Amino acid sequence: MAAGGTGGSNKTYSFKVVLLGEGCVGKTSLVLRYCENKFNDKHITTLQASFLTKKLNIAGKRVNLAIWDTAGQERFHALGPIYYRDSNGAILVYDITDEDSFQKVKNWVKELRKMLGNEICLCIVGNKIDLEKERHVSVEEAEGYAESVGAKHYHTSAKLNKGIEELFLDLCKRMMETAQAEERAKGNGASQTATSRRGVQIVDDEPQAATAAGGCCASG
Amino acid sequence: MSQRTERRGIHVDQSELLCKKGCGYYGNAAWQGLCSKCWREEYQRARQKQIQEDWALAEKLQREEEAAYASSHGSHPQAQAHSQPSLAPFSKFEEKKTNEKTRKVTTVKKFFSPSSRTTPKKETHESKTPSPSIARQSSIETDRVSREFVDFLKNLQKPGREIHKQSRAFIESMANKKDLSAEELSECVQDFYQNMSDRLMTHFKGSSERVERVMDQVEKYIMTRLYKSVFCPETTDDEKKDLATQHRIRALHWVTIQMLCVPVDEEIPEVSDSVVKAITDIIEMDSKRVPRDKLACITSCSKHIFNAIKVTKNEPASADDFLPTLIYIVLKANPPRLQSNIQYITRFCNPSRLMTGEDGYYFTNLCCAVAFIEKLDAQSLNLSPEDFERYMSGQASPRRQDEPDSWPQTGSSVNPALSQVYHNLDLLVGLNQRQEKVLEGARSLQTELTEWQESVTREVQEILERYPLDIRPHASAIDSENVENDRLPPPLQPQVFAG
Ligand SMILES: Nc1nc2c(ncn2[C@@H]2O[C@H](COP(=O)(O)OP(=O)(O)OP(=O)(O)O)[C@@H](O)[C@H]2O)c(=O)[nH]1
Ligand SMILES: [Mg+2]
Ligand SMILES: [Zn+2]
Repeated sequence: MAAGGTGGSNKTYSFKVVLLGEGCVGKTSLVLRYCENKFNDKHITTLQASFLTKKLNIAGKRVNLAIWDTAGQERFHALGPIYYRDSNGAILVYDITDEDSFQKVKNWVKELRKMLGNEICLCIVGNKIDLEKERHVSVEEAEGYAESVGAKHYHTSAKLNKGIEELFLDLCKRMMETAQAEERAKGNGASQTATSRRGVQIVDDEPQAATAAGGCCASG
Repeated sequence: MSQRTERRGIHVDQSELLCKKGCGYYGNAAWQGLCSKCWREEYQRARQKQIQEDWALAEKLQREEEAAYASSHGSHPQAQAHSQPSLAPFSKFEEKKTNEKTRKVTTVKKFFSPSSRTTPKKETHESKTPSPSIARQSSIETDRVSREFVDFLKNLQKPGREIHKQSRAFIESMANKKDLSAEELSECVQDFYQNMSDRLMTHFKGSSERVERVMDQVEKYIMTRLYKSVFCPETTDDEKKDLATQHRIRALHWVTIQMLCVPVDEEIPEVSDSVVKAITDIIEMDSKRVPRDKLACITSCSKHIFNAIKVTKNEPASADDFLPTLIYIVLKANPPRLQSNIQYITRFCNPSRLMTGEDGYYFTNLCCAVAFIEKLDAQSLNLSPEDFERYMSGQASPRRQDEPDSWPQTGSSVNPALSQVYHNLDLLVGLNQRQEKVLEGARSLQTELTEWQESVTREVQEILERYPLDIRPHASAIDSENVENDRLPPPLQPQVFAG
């Protein structure tokens, strides 16, 4: 099964990516386009578009990408942390024709940075660039903002299938770099997790004695 | 093993001669330091008995497994000189095992010290086990799972034996850690998963699919065995939370599909069928012991939800469709011990499943649904605070208060009476299932009681054979004449055994 060929370590990376953004900005359309290459297809065979996966091969390394759609309605906002906990990347989508949706992205960035620090790779995505004529968010402002918060900016159209491959490929590469940096850090810090093992709690209270009397017990 | 030692251990110290219950009569080592009266009280409880039997069975099984394993792999497994890459790293495990052994001995000693009375503690610990019959069922299950585990590992040959050994050692070590907090127990298990999968990763040269497959089996094996002691442990407030959530859901019985904007139309037969199946699956979760099996129930529930949405909307469900529907299903099902189950999965599931897998996604949504239900207020249902209060207090019901047309979104034409009928049908399905479980439980309790009676007889016989010196002509005569007299203490002369 394992393709072999690659030589060296053939470790598989597993990444969790959350999709965040206001309703109707095109989150679902983006993933469906990416994972199924479909847009507004009424005959869609997919049962659901809330959890999708994609297998990639980047520079000889296998990557399993899990894309988590999140409920965007305002009343579910407080649940955000439960969704994005442990995620390696976040895709924050806005609609270039909708100024408000860009404000929402800014709020998400603030929240994510506060909760997850710099561990998470952020992508800010201006979707619906096929509607360039109706643009309400300026390219300079959006790109400038992204840079100021350490995020990358992408321009996409789910309708025309533009910029989507690049978005995900780029994100994967960045997540791999982060993961590799983490591994190196771990390697230096000796055998991490296992050291936290318990067992020291039980103190030896009295030596032998009692066991001698129990000699007649034929217990197994 | 410790259980047995404890029960039959004989104390030499004078202060130990009195009944451990402190009733003033003399205790007898054969009765675990109790007098005959207290001993009877203590041990004629079916539940207590059950625990002991489970242990004995577990041990017997362990030995059988070992034997089965050894025989299927030749009598000298160590003799194979061509060492495989997995063996070097695994030998580290060996060290750890010995460490755990010594620790165990210490705890066994603790059992003997006068201050520690393990019996009542054990009992409180197990008191949540719904009924002895369920315990019996579970030991049969443990039995089956163990065999399956061995069968699975046989295909892995040499490392399989190592995995089996380490898993067993781990379970043994966990038996002595019952007084740790839930988080600490979780950490022990998670450390074990981590260790095991690191070593497997080296052995399988990085093939995570194969590692996952083995880890699934390891999880199944160890969690089937640990379930009873680590599910909803007394050291946590899981049980309290379960009750709170159950009450909360009951108090929210008036919440309608429209208030939650659930995109399913239960008037479509296929949809209502999927809804019923989803409810059944989420209720079913509580009956599983392995975290992954519990997850599978959540996943199956989610798939039925997706189908309901797909049929209603004719497009794939997004998170904004899915979450409200899941909330609706949870409200309708009011699944037993919801919080305990969530905590158990969080603490003891193999983390790779929870973090990136599909199951993990549905599980996360279930967590979201529960969080939403806990915090739900007027605003989250688009209601005025006054209405919300009135519905909560039961002063009014939304069905009679509002015009159906004023409900937002989908299915505004749903006949409230009809949806009530569906609701009742769902409840009946749930009730039916529960009744069946009760019946099943009753049946196995019956067989179990018969077995128990037999085993007590057997055990008494054994004890009599083991301590023939006890039967001195006059002493035994007194005893045998007064079997019915609880007041009478056992032989006054304590028996001292040297080694
Ligand atoms: N013109 C154009 N329309 C798009 C594009 N992407 C999405 N849409 C449309 O925008 C609408 C919303 O798209 P969705 O993908 O459902 O948006 P969403 O962000 O998932 O919305 P919620 O699930 O409600 O949060 C749909 O009608 C899509 O057809 C795009 O690139 N160009
Ligand atoms: Mg969507
Ligand atoms: Zn007594």
